[in-house]
Amino acid sequence: MITFSGVTKRYANGYEALKNVSLTVEKGEMIAITGHSGAGKSTLLKLAAGIEFASGGSVLVNHQNLAQLKEAGVSVLRQNLGLVFQDHKLLFDRSVFDNVALPLEIVGYPRGETGKRVRAALDKVGLLQRERANPIALSGGEQQRLCIARAIVNRPSMLIADEPTGNLDQAYAATIMELFRSFNQVGVTVILSTHDEIGLAHLQCRRIAIAQGSVAA
Amino acid sequence: MSAFVFSHLQAFSRAVGRMRAQPLATSLSIVVIAIAILLPLGLYMLFDNVTRATSRLNTEPNVNVYLALNASDGEAKEIEKKLRAHDNAASLRFISREAALAELKKRTNLGDLLAGIEANPLPHAFAVKPKSTDPAALEAMRRDVAAIAKVETINMDFEWAHKLTRFARFAERLVFLLGVMLGAAVVFVIGNTIRLQMLTQKDEIIVARLIGATRHFVRRPFLYFGALQGGLAGALAVLATAALGLWASTEVNALAASYGADFALRAPTLGQAGWVIGLSAALGWMGAFVSVSMYWRQVEVNP
Repeated sequence: MITFSGVTKRYANGYEALKNVSLTVEKGEMIAITGHSGAGKSTLLKLAAGIEFASGGSVLVNHQNLAQLKEAGVSVLRQNLGLVFQDHKLLFDRSVFDNVALPLEIVGYPRGETGKRVRAALDKVGLLQRERANPIALSGGEQQRLCIARAIVNRPSMLIADEPTGNLDQAYAATIMELFRSFNQVGVTVILSTHDEIGLAHLQCRRIAIAQGSVAA
Repeated sequence: MSAFVFSHLQAFSRAVGRMRAQPLATSLSIVVIAIAILLPLGLYMLFDNVTRATSRLNTEPNVNVYLALNASDGEAKEIEKKLRAHDNAASLRFISREAALAELKKRTNLGDLLAGIEANPLPHAFAVKPKSTDPAALEAMRRDVAAIAKVETINMDFEWAHKLTRFARFAERLVFLLGVMLGAAVVFVIGNTIRLQMLTQKDEIIVARLIGATRHFVRRPFLYFGALQGGLAGALAVLATAALGLWASTEVNALAASYGADFALRAPTLGQAGWVIGLSAALGWMGAFVSVSMYWRQVEVNP
């Protein structure tokens, strides 16, 4: 589903975030990218989502070379991905419901059927009772779950989550990881990053350790 | 419904939603834009009315030659030959005393008064169209024609009509220039409101782009917003022009009537209203487009 071949990412200031990274994520797989902060985990996920582009090597998602996609093509690619952000990137000028409805609006989903989809997504993350609330009234963990609901509302075949448990305490982190596990069990490819090895302790999945911009083991 | 139509309806309703979310700011900028449109539109309507009133005046340069009252038909024929032979005469028209009297009766309400007069008080006349309206040529022509026997008066005061026409053309250009300048102002005013909107919606734009919104998806509601604002301002300006016209018309009409003139201020026609609204909507669309393109970088995900 995702293939990195000899990928290098150098930022404009000369900083080399990734050096010659090659890895493949199979369809239906769950994979955890681990490593210290600054190791290059976020950069790796941004390259997979077309938020950043490789300076060298190639990134293929669904057999498409991202470097060759046009702008609109990258947008369409992202419409088919579920992105979960460490800082949630929620909109506080609208309700929980409207936050989750945004991806449906973007793909032009029929308005009459939006409600059903949004509530199904909120139900999966356990926020169905909060649909009218403003996200600012939610706890950190609830905000993360809301971000996940937004990522899955379009029923993507792949979820990309950058440090989804980064700001959460241990117990909460475990429930979030379980949530991803459950999506993976119904066939969704999940690729997530974490700097917290302990949180992964009881999670059965492939791990790839990144250190100083390279795959460590 | 096709996806294309749906996406436009969606963008339109988002634009309306944004306007309703900030009623005060929206109506204020609509009023400002309407004033900018009102200035050239009002002046245009004024000149349109004046031009309509003056178009009935004969501004064709004619040298009118009136004969003495006792000039006979035969003498008139002789004079016609001499006039035709003149170097500066392009064409001429003979107006007999009888024809002139009939015309006068028809065009004025003096019929009763004229009926009471036994003899026709009007002379034979010629309307000569000169080849050259150059002052020197005309002066030479006046001298030559005045020398012909039985020619009583020569009237060639059409200079004022020329001046009027020239002034009207100048005014037209002035209105056009003002229109262009204030049209540019409309583009900038709308561009600025769109810029402020983009800044307040920066988070929404960034998030929407991150989760797959195309540029079109982000830009479309802004374009509709600009077009709506421009169109509404255009409609307001048309209404204001009509209202101002109505307010002024009682006085203007009374004044015109006192001169016996058949003149009434005319409000903008439906066609004119359509043009103004359409044009200002187009300007609004343009302002939004320019603004979104210029400030795109501030809200772009990838710098």
